[in-house]
Amino acid sequence: MQGRTGLWRRAPVTVIVVALILAAIAVVALLAPWISPADPARQTLIARLRPPGHTTSTMTYWLGTDELGRDLLSRIVWGARASLLVALLSVTVSLTVGTLLGMLAAWKRGWVEIAIMRFVDIMLSIPAILLAVLTVAVLGPGFGKLILVLGLTRWPRYTRVAYAQTLQVASLPYIKAAELGGAGTLRILFRHVLPNIAGPLTVVATAEFGLMILFEAGLSFLGLGIQPPQPSWGSIMSAGRQYVERAWWITLFPGACLFLLVLSVNVLGDWLRDRLDPRSRTR
Amino acid sequence: MLKHAFAGILLAAGLVTAPLLVGPAAAQGKDALTVDLPNDAATLDPHVQWDTDSYTVYRNIFDNLVTRDVSGKIVPQIATAWRYANDTTIEFDIREGVTFHDGSPLTASDVAFSIARIINPTFKSPQLSQFDQIVSAEAQGSKVVMKTKTPYPALMAQLVKLSIVPKAVVEKVGDQVFNLAPVGSGPYRLASWQKGVQSVLEANDKYWGGKPPFKTVTFRVVPDVATRVADLRSGKADIARQLGPDEATALKKEPALQVLAGATERIGYMFINAQAGPTADPRVRKAIAYSIDRKSLIDALLAGYGDPVNIVLTPANFGFVPDVKGYEFDLAKAKALVKEANAVGAQLTFLTSPAYDRRVVEALQQMVQETGLKVDIVALDHPTFLRRRQGRPDEAGSLSFGRWSCACQDADGVIFPLFRTGSIWAKYSNPGFDEAVDKARAILDEKGRLDLYRKAFEILREDVPGVGIYQDYAIYGARKELKWTPTPNEAFFIMDMKWGQ
Amino acid sequence: MLRYAFWRLVQAAVAVFGVMTIVFVIMRLAGDPTLLLVPEGATREHIEALRHELGFDRPILVQYAAYLADVLRLDFGNSVVQRQPAMAILMSRLPYTLELALGALAFALLLGLPAGVAMAVWRGTAVERLLAAVVLTGQSMPTFLSGILLILVFGVILGWLPTSGSGTWSALILPAFALGALSMATFARMARIAVVDELSQDYVRAARARGLSQGAVVVRHVLRNAAVPVVTIAALEIGNLLAGAVIVETVFAWPGIGQLAIQSIQSRDFVVVQVVVLFVSAVYVGMSLLADVAYAWLDPRIRLTPA
Repeated sequence: MQGRTGLWRRAPVTVIVVALILAAIAVVALLAPWISPADPARQTLIARLRPPGHTTSTMTYWLGTDELGRDLLSRIVWGARASLLVALLSVTVSLTVGTLLGMLAAWKRGWVEIAIMRFVDIMLSIPAILLAVLTVAVLGPGFGKLILVLGLTRWPRYTRVAYAQTLQVASLPYIKAAELGGAGTLRILFRHVLPNIAGPLTVVATAEFGLMILFEAGLSFLGLGIQPPQPSWGSIMSAGRQYVERAWWITLFPGACLFLLVLSVNVLGDWLRDRLDPRSRTR
Repeated sequence: MLKHAFAGILLAAGLVTAPLLVGPAAAQGKDALTVDLPNDAATLDPHVQWDTDSYTVYRNIFDNLVTRDVSGKIVPQIATAWRYANDTTIEFDIREGVTFHDGSPLTASDVAFSIARIINPTFKSPQLSQFDQIVSAEAQGSKVVMKTKTPYPALMAQLVKLSIVPKAVVEKVGDQVFNLAPVGSGPYRLASWQKGVQSVLEANDKYWGGKPPFKTVTFRVVPDVATRVADLRSGKADIARQLGPDEATALKKEPALQVLAGATERIGYMFINAQAGPTADPRVRKAIAYSIDRKSLIDALLAGYGDPVNIVLTPANFGFVPDVKGYEFDLAKAKALVKEANAVGAQLTFLTSPAYDRRVVEALQQMVQETGLKVDIVALDHPTFLRRRQGRPDEAGSLSFGRWSCACQDADGVIFPLFRTGSIWAKYSNPGFDEAVDKARAILDEKGRLDLYRKAFEILREDVPGVGIYQDYAIYGARKELKWTPTPNEAFFIMDMKWGQ
Repeated sequence: MLRYAFWRLVQAAVAVFGVMTIVFVIMRLAGDPTLLLVPEGATREHIEALRHELGFDRPILVQYAAYLADVLRLDFGNSVVQRQPAMAILMSRLPYTLELALGALAFALLLGLPAGVAMAVWRGTAVERLLAAVVLTGQSMPTFLSGILLILVFGVILGWLPTSGSGTWSALILPAFALGALSMATFARMARIAVVDELSQDYVRAARARGLSQGAVVVRHVLRNAAVPVVTIAALEIGNLLAGAVIVETVFAWPGIGQLAIQSIQSRDFVVVQVVVLFVSAVYVGMSLLADVAYAWLDPRIRLTPA
């Protein structure tokens, strides 16, 4: 294991493998327009539910076709794009909003703290799926709005963690020192507090990453996810679930991809967390 | 979990060909019937909700004023005979010897009360608009005299849906209690109702129409269609409502099960906005009409559970005129029309909601796109869909798919609300069409009405504010032993069922 | 301390009130149920008339004031769809919801915690990787898929358990497992982190140095200390287990309040949505209040300052 530097120093083989898997999925998602063998929306109604390897005069469906006779491989390739984007963007939105508010609440205390944390209580106490369905009903459908809905529903989770961690960190001597030294709030929060609470937040973010893909899948199941005919892994599975016996490939392949993605993100997240958390760095 | 879950898929897939479990051996005859419905009855007071699931349950608790036989003809139930005194006055003879479940006799005053109750605005019945042509109903001995505002040809078709409730009981217990503990005169009485779980009916052995075929009938609430199929296969349910064509295909392989399907009065159609967007140009609308390949839609996607139609009406409705020509699938013509209208690449929005089969919507989208138009699907939740579809023309979207049934088997309940100027669904206006459908709902002469509807459909053919695609089928899955023929009005009357070998 | 508890109680009340208001506003923005109640062929006049009869044509503030006045008298309104008191509808569904939530929690804890502890103790070994994969399967499979697979395998093919329904213990197993699988991963991860953290504490090294075996240390000290964050997470999961089980309830035909809520949202049956959300948030806020007060009792540093 020579030649690795910085963060990757001492990274176990597993981590290298999952990082490669993630990179591969990301590349597939990025290159979807060029590597997808067919138009993911192109239906051939007479070739519905054909098994993997089905060949016609014009093309071979390597992973079979779906319930409308579309090439499953192409849909999974394009679905990677939608699913990754949904997860990445919604986690970014909620992580940013949630962390900022959490740190602020713990640092400012007083009314700011009460206002933010009670609002967090309010948001957390409304079950996420209900809140999402409600907001979709008001905002209407669309990719941007979907991100907004997911981001707006999930930020309180980060706030709680950021808040609790900041409370602990705030009493550390060197942060007290920085404060006494006249450093501004933002500077302290970003320079000193954030690095200390990044570990637990990473864990939440990586867990949420997979959950967001599932969440979109759930909304697809309720008919409110990504707009058809655009595919996401979740919507492919949601549409394919009633064919699990007749056409197992529709759910198995995107399911396997999703599993690999979630597994990789989580393994990477746990490892990153262990690296970032100052308390476990001693090991 | 890993092993189990994915092994599960493979196991499930592999076992399709293996012999499947057969449920408990069917005995001769059967005491208890179990029915899987997609939703709970919203109300069991028959004068409140009338969605298919509520109706499925309470239809068996109550008798209706009149009903339809298997061929669709309106036949006596509580009314034994009826005659027009003049164009706006009808007399009904009320059946004698019918008793409610509490033992009290059903009289003409109960019938008059039922009508008065449903048309009373303060009762807030959602069904009001189906009965508001009735001005009054009066009991005279064993007769009921009913008056309508104007001559109203669809009256009898609407009265098929009117359940008779006992005046004394409703007045004594009040509307809210009556909804929870309904008392009717039908073949079954309510034994228990667990909200959201099931409602259990037990046979009314004194039913005037004969002995009910099962001692108890349980209507279970099973929202997921895949679960309803699993219930049939495991023997947990004897019959399940609202299966899709793909479920039907899968069920046919099961030795213990059968598919019961029947053509209904429900019309699968595509709405085309004639007042806003690129579809305001009639050439674009015609192009869309030419682009629909009914045969491959019905054969491939609906597995044959649908019959192609030329107009926005099914043969099960009065007013169906088979001689009005439709638009044959002709992509070349469609493309030429789009070019001619200078609409190549024009953006259309296809509004839809979870209430409509996503597969059909996506298939239609692709068919329309073949013409050179560009179609975006906008999937809204159902209330929002309704608000937009019924709102201003510029908000209503260019296209939407619908499955329309008025449960009255009359053209008046279909093309009047869909296309008459001023109707919430109409994004279209043509005085000639309005005149025809207005006249057709105000005369009683059947021949004259049919001529008017022919004229109306000819106008629709030219203007294409919508295009009929197929006559929809109601699909039920059931155990082999159940003998029953589904009816075009999607009624679920257990008296029509039998259990045999 | 008493003053703190009182102050915290006021905040909780404000939070519940906030939930009520937010949901009220969102629901009203999303439109009213009139269009869904009338038959398809209804005319504009009928729709307007029914809307007026139901009172949805009043300004939103007037509706809100009327609703608040009713709620203060503990009248939660009547469902416009079912024509029954919303509270009665909620109460009829509650036993099912509690049964499913507790069942799922039991599965999640019983499977998730040992897995998490094992992952921490055997950190970096094949055991951890295997367990991680198993646990994550639960978190990477949509419940609408795992649900139908469970039904097919155990209900149809093996015939061991009912394919749907409620009311019996055997009917609870599949939905509780499908729902619990999601939380199981959360518990396992949290337990793993908590135990890893504890294992790196000085007292553990001291104990090991005194010659105690790893197992003994884990059982005697680590588990107890690691339990605190895990219990906190469990409390946080309650809200989602109570009313977030929408999909599991739909797939297994389980008549819980999640299904009730989603159907009521879809039919714009405001008062039912309100009463469900109000209930869930009251439970949630109550739990987090209890947790906060207990924390403050244990650790005065965390005590919140009233302005």
